[in-house]
Amino acid sequence: MAEPLLSVDKLNVSFATYGRSRQVLRNVSFDVAAGERVALIGETGSGKSVTAKAIIGTLPNNAAISSGTIRFAGQDIMALPKADREALKGTAFSLIMQDPLSSFNPVFKIGTHLDDVMRFADKRNGVRASKAERRIRIEAVLRRVQLADADRVMNAYPSELSGGMRQRVLIGLALLHQPKLLIADEPGTALDVTTQDEILNLINTLVKEENMALLMITHNLGVVRKVADRVVVMHHGDIVETGPCAEILSSPKAAYTQALLEAVPPLYGPRVTNLPQSGRAPIVTIRGLNKIFGKRPGFHAIRDVDLTLREGEIFGLAGESGSGKTSIARIIMELSRATSGTVAIDAPAPGKGRRLTQIVYQNPGTSLNPKRTVKQTLSLPLTSIGMDSERREARMAELLDLVRLPQSYMAKYPHELSGGQKQRVAIARALAAEPKILILDEPTAALDVSVQKTVIELLVQLRQDLGLTYLMISHDLSLMRNFCSRIAVMLRGEIVEEGATPEVFADPKHPYTRALIAAIPVVTDAEELLKPVVTEEERTRFLVKTTA
Amino acid sequence: MADMKMLDASDRGLSSGYMMWYRFSRNPAAVIGSLILISIVILAVFAPWLTPYPKHVGAVVDFRARHLPPDASHWFGTDKAGRDIFSRTVFGLRVSLLLVIGVLGISVPVGTVLGLIAGYFGGWVEKLITGLTNVMLAMPPLVMALAVSNLLEPTLTNAMIAITLLWWTWHARLIYSVSKSIASEDYIEAARLAGAGPLHILFREILPNCMAVISVKTTLDAAFVILFGATLSFLGFGVKPPTPDLGSMVADGRQFMPDFWWEVLCPGAMVFYVTLGFNLLGDGLRDMFDVEN
Repeated sequence: MAEPLLSVDKLNVSFATYGRSRQVLRNVSFDVAAGERVALIGETGSGKSVTAKAIIGTLPNNAAISSGTIRFAGQDIMALPKADREALKGTAFSLIMQDPLSSFNPVFKIGTHLDDVMRFADKRNGVRASKAERRIRIEAVLRRVQLADADRVMNAYPSELSGGMRQRVLIGLALLHQPKLLIADEPGTALDVTTQDEILNLINTLVKEENMALLMITHNLGVVRKVADRVVVMHHGDIVETGPCAEILSSPKAAYTQALLEAVPPLYGPRVTNLPQSGRAPIVTIRGLNKIFGKRPGFHAIRDVDLTLREGEIFGLAGESGSGKTSIARIIMELSRATSGTVAIDAPAPGKGRRLTQIVYQNPGTSLNPKRTVKQTLSLPLTSIGMDSERREARMAELLDLVRLPQSYMAKYPHELSGGQKQRVAIARALAAEPKILILDEPTAALDVSVQKTVIELLVQLRQDLGLTYLMISHDLSLMRNFCSRIAVMLRGEIVEEGATPEVFADPKHPYTRALIAAIPVVTDAEELLKPVVTEEERTRFLVKTTA
Repeated sequence: MADMKMLDASDRGLSSGYMMWYRFSRNPAAVIGSLILISIVILAVFAPWLTPYPKHVGAVVDFRARHLPPDASHWFGTDKAGRDIFSRTVFGLRVSLLLVIGVLGISVPVGTVLGLIAGYFGGWVEKLITGLTNVMLAMPPLVMALAVSNLLEPTLTNAMIAITLLWWTWHARLIYSVSKSIASEDYIEAARLAGAGPLHILFREILPNCMAVISVKTTLDAAFVILFGATLSFLGFGVKPPTPDLGSMVADGRQFMPDFWWEVLCPGAMVFYVTLGFNLLGDGLRDMFDVEN
């Protein structure tokens, strides 16, 4: 067999933090052949990003490669002098970064970013080129990432482009010097599903056309199925399993991979859970709701929305960013006022300091005060309903039991907790003063898929035990398929489709719903086949343009 | 990378105290700065026992011993009245530290509270407080201090009042910007939804998140207050003679430069030492807390 393009052999990396050393990669070995697409998959802390950084040579200062080799085209790149290694960046391998917004300096135009990268690379390689000549090359690259209107893109500031377009420019940046290996660190994760779908298609096309190899780093198994020939599964710094993509996804051998696949909410098929419809009385009734931000003409965030939430149901409000779903939730919470229309909550008035509605935020990292312990966080809502300290203690103990956290966590600060544990604390805080309605604003978007599974199970259990009504806001339709009993799809402030979840997914009426469902990365081929079909015409009508 | 560090620490159950101590002990500036400050506090507090001529603080005149250069019995030499400069310098530290405590003890809490209120409430409260702050910031500090001292009496207390009148504005402005950004965090909204009143939110939710910024700013400020106080007493608006003060000692010695250089340089070096200690500690704390200046 020919020498692989990239060969990582028995790589050990450790981090020194606070005087203690900790191994983050243990004997990581894998190959990427020329033209091959390999996915490195794992959850937070699995070491997938560290592996990529070790290859590119951008490990932080407190990291040390204790043993192992990284060979690129037969050359041991760790033995290379610094300047030679530097020269490999961009030409031998290139990185597509994750966050399309923070990767650009907001005060420079896109053209300046591209030109800088090209100029410095030219300098390094001893190429002399004029600005005009560089521009021709940049335009060629932009055309390849489907940004044909190069003038417009290059004269735009980063904030003037959509997320999808920025991601395309980032890919273009990586392509400037015809690298042989493209390393993609969770591309499109920060974007809407439909945009992410297009970005993945683009990467696939480019890899094929340019005959590049691809090393895709991701936590999403659906993405893996779409862009990888071979999969390397990582867990806590070890490689758990390696194999062809289809094999890993259909018949995984390692228990960890099985559990990971198990945790992915299915879109179609026998594993899908159907929640019973609630036949009880409506608890929230929204009629003719409008919200306009700013003064004339203003931004029309919500347009004539009518919604009814029945008591005890889990109602899903689906939509992409900017569709107005969070604005509706804030109006129900009385955090913002509607421009017109009514929201009626049909429940007896709560006691002093109590609210009918509470919210669980998307990111538990920002919804818990970093300087307050779990106990301090939980005691706040209890104090405001006038509980004395004895009853508070008892109620807090009860709450921790409810969200299945050990009592010893009372004294912990948020930074001592994992993402899932933090979200449990946030749920406990929301439930403390016994609300009737819980608004879940993408409660698991910031969590790993296996953690998501446990948090969702907890939420389902809590609803049963406490008789709560949930309003779930999310863009993750496969999660909503299994978690919501009814669902409404929002597009640009309007509800375009509404109905019982199984029916909406079985036969989506509106083309936008079809496009949304079709864009979800799924794990099995069977599910892929069951997805609704979207015509190109519908796509251009309802989705945000990411090309130019 | 921050995520990774956090995860790493939390995985091993390191306490915040340990992490703080670790970062402190690895930070030479912070360690040296605090050693300097500890030495200064010890000197100031135990001055009567640590100095060879504690009586020289008062109205002692010994013309036989005037203008003696530094030697074994007078480490810093003697001044025009034959008093031991080392003893007077050490006692002078007391005045400096008193000034720091007095000025910062008032201006930091005042500035912090006003900053918190302006940042959290917004609206006309914000406009009023930031407007007032900007007006005060526009006044040259030295002119203001001279005006107050002339209007009242040139004493240490009045110097303190003069400095305090201007100093709170810097804190108000800094805390205002921090408070404003924290006020838009999810956890503040969550606290409001949990029924927290404004006092709870200001002092229990926002204030703890400002502590890093406040401690860095206060430490760095202490150095400036000492310098400013020395400047005022150099100009004759500080403590009354014969009480020793670093600024007025430099002013007194100035007329004998360059022949009796020690009378300027030794108290001057002490000002330098104190300022250095506060600045090093402040810089060290800033690195530890990752506070942007």
